[in-house]
Amino acid sequence: MVQHRIECVDIGSEYCPCHLAETNDCLICSHLQGKEFCDCNWRGVCVYQEYVWNGNKSKSLRSETVCEIEEKIEHEGNLTILKIKTSRTLSRQLKEPGAYVFLRDVNLPHYYDVPMSVMDADDMNEYIYIAYQTIGAKTKMLKKLNDKVLVRGPFWNGLIGIKYIKSTRNENCLILARGIAQAPTLSVIKKLNRNGCNLKVILDKGRVGKIFLSKYLKDLKIGYTEVNLMENEGELLVDSILAKENYGLVYVGGSDLLQKRILDLLEKNNCNSNLVVTNNEKFCCGEGICGSCTTFTENGEIIKACKSQMDVKKTVERRNMLG
Amino acid sequence: MARIVVIGGGWAGCAAAITAKKAGGDVILIEKTDMLLGLGNVGGIMRNNGRYTATEENICLGGQELFNITDRAARHVNVEFPGHKHASLYDVIKVEPMVRRFLKEIGIKILLQKRVNDVEMDSKAIKSVVLSDDTTISGDVFIETTGSTGPMGNCLKYGNGCSMCILRCPSFGPRISISKRAGVEDILGQRGDESYGAFSGSCKLNKESLSEEIREKLNKEGVVILPVPKEDVNFDKLDLKVCQQYALKDFAENIILLDTGHVKLMTPFYPLEKLRKIKGLENARYEDPYSGGKGNSIRYLSIAPRNNAMKVIGVDNLLCAGEKSGLFVGHTEAIVTGSLAGHNSVRLSLGMPLLELPRSLAIGDLIAYANEQIKTKEGLKRRYTFAGAEYFERMKEKDLYTTDKKEIKRRVQRLDLLNIYEERLL
Repeated sequence: MVQHRIECVDIGSEYCPCHLAETNDCLICSHLQGKEFCDCNWRGVCVYQEYVWNGNKSKSLRSETVCEIEEKIEHEGNLTILKIKTSRTLSRQLKEPGAYVFLRDVNLPHYYDVPMSVMDADDMNEYIYIAYQTIGAKTKMLKKLNDKVLVRGPFWNGLIGIKYIKSTRNENCLILARGIAQAPTLSVIKKLNRNGCNLKVILDKGRVGKIFLSKYLKDLKIGYTEVNLMENEGELLVDSILAKENYGLVYVGGSDLLQKRILDLLEKNNCNSNLVVTNNEKFCCGEGICGSCTTFTENGEIIKACKSQMDVKKTVERRNMLG
Repeated sequence: MARIVVIGGGWAGCAAAITAKKAGGDVILIEKTDMLLGLGNVGGIMRNNGRYTATEENICLGGQELFNITDRAARHVNVEFPGHKHASLYDVIKVEPMVRRFLKEIGIKILLQKRVNDVEMDSKAIKSVVLSDDTTISGDVFIETTGSTGPMGNCLKYGNGCSMCILRCPSFGPRISISKRAGVEDILGQRGDESYGAFSGSCKLNKESLSEEIREKLNKEGVVILPVPKEDVNFDKLDLKVCQQYALKDFAENIILLDTGHVKLMTPFYPLEKLRKIKGLENARYEDPYSGGKGNSIRYLSIAPRNNAMKVIGVDNLLCAGEKSGLFVGHTEAIVTGSLAGHNSVRLSLGMPLLELPRSLAIGDLIAYANEQIKTKEGLKRRYTFAGAEYFERMKEKDLYTTDKKEIKRRVQRLDLLNIYEERLL
């Protein structure tokens, strides 16, 4: 049985090597795990070399910036969409599918940091757009904000299977998203659209009660079908779509349960499409330190889900098993 | 038909692919970069000292193809430089396309820019190899010729950092030890001071950057020897290098340049400022490694334990050759071990006894001797090559060294091994 090697989403970026290197906990480099010889699978400039060149220190952490909230639109169903003015660099860094930031009130302590997918980033005008659903303590405090917000980022591991989005070109792709998970889906749609893919988009308003992507999709001239993916009708629809046509990539934005239902349908229809899903682990620091996102492989190996890209199908199955 | 998968397209891998094909195998050769020959793209020295004997032996055994190519691509033959006789220098710019064309012609499937990073095992046998793009390639017998050089972290920890050599790890990904993935621990070579690994022994200068006088002499004679300014002579550097056959006093006191298309500078690295103090090298610049003024690649950190038929001990269907199979130096050593491994891969797939070359041949003796020595502490600090140092002395002592082609043919014939690599086994 092959041990699927974990890939670090931050590797090769300006934030690599991170402080995990200093404690011999690097996800990738065997030297920076305290071993004597090379045994990694990274295809870029060596992490160990970067570390030594940096004076045997990690590179700096993500910075926190106070940003203006330019627009705040509150919808029914506890949905809020924020338009936040950022630096050009940050908005450019957040254009990638899977990008997210931590947000909080400037006056609150750091444990109010709440991770939010970047729905859209406009690096020409230096804006990011965040859609969130008010659910718990952190998002309720966020809802009180009107003019300023503390933004920490960029982070990139909001999706699992990101490499498939980057490499899929001119293929049929099936995009499924439910509820607030529509937010991270927009950048996926934009990227695949730019890559010349033919998109079949199915959206479910879910508990947020609204297809808030409709206006963006209209601008992109991409149609969509609305259905309740957690009911029989949704299942039948997806089943018939998968039976009819081959898809190079299937994306599922939504809960663990939804992801499992779709995975079962893929297997039933013998689809070997590449699968991309939203990363549903709970993130608190995003830097691989706090442990809130820790999960395990079937071999008991610890995974820091906030940074790790892992085998998508196994991840979905394991999360459902752990329930 | 036996599916033989060769991992690593350097000289050893190419040689293994050829003999496996000739023995009747269905051969796939997997190479991580965009060129075959690996370090052979920047080497070039053939037939010097005992390599002449080994070359002719391998030709008589039926493994003549690659030597025919290096002979055809020779810029200079019968060159002498300190400690070395009758060397021929192949043109590093011409040789790779010639080899690639030949391999394709005889029906070897070559996968370029495909890197093996894991194995799927079935008990103690390799079922398939896993590529970095997550696809798998299954086979009956596997031959590992991934060498022992790099990757970047090793070159940094045990050397002076990545010097941007021909292997181009940042572009094509790291070397991964397949035998280790299959559960067999690597053996590590050492330097005199017991630190691990060793520097590659030469770098290459851009010929156009040298003075006209030097260029002319190189083109005509193949070799130029220039004295090193007294204050810059550094004997310590001889200890660093892989190629003990070139770790002679002459090589510290002189700059020895050989014409291989590029200009081969017989030292692991040489600070550019100091190099440019030497007459005729005022404008010199490096061709390989790009940062030859600072360092060179680190080797010998990944050797598989094997028997004298080149089979890896501990894995049922894995053979090895080249640097992966011992503390060997040089193209000739890679080709002769590769030829044996390739031939034996088909034997292994058929359950036939594997061929071991007798010690009355230089090739058989080198393979067996290196294997004995690697088990000793001192032996891990030495390198084994027909071209010089300890092993060439041994060749002379044991009367293995000769340049008499008829005598070599007689030896091979007497052992009933003439053209054994030509035999189709299935």
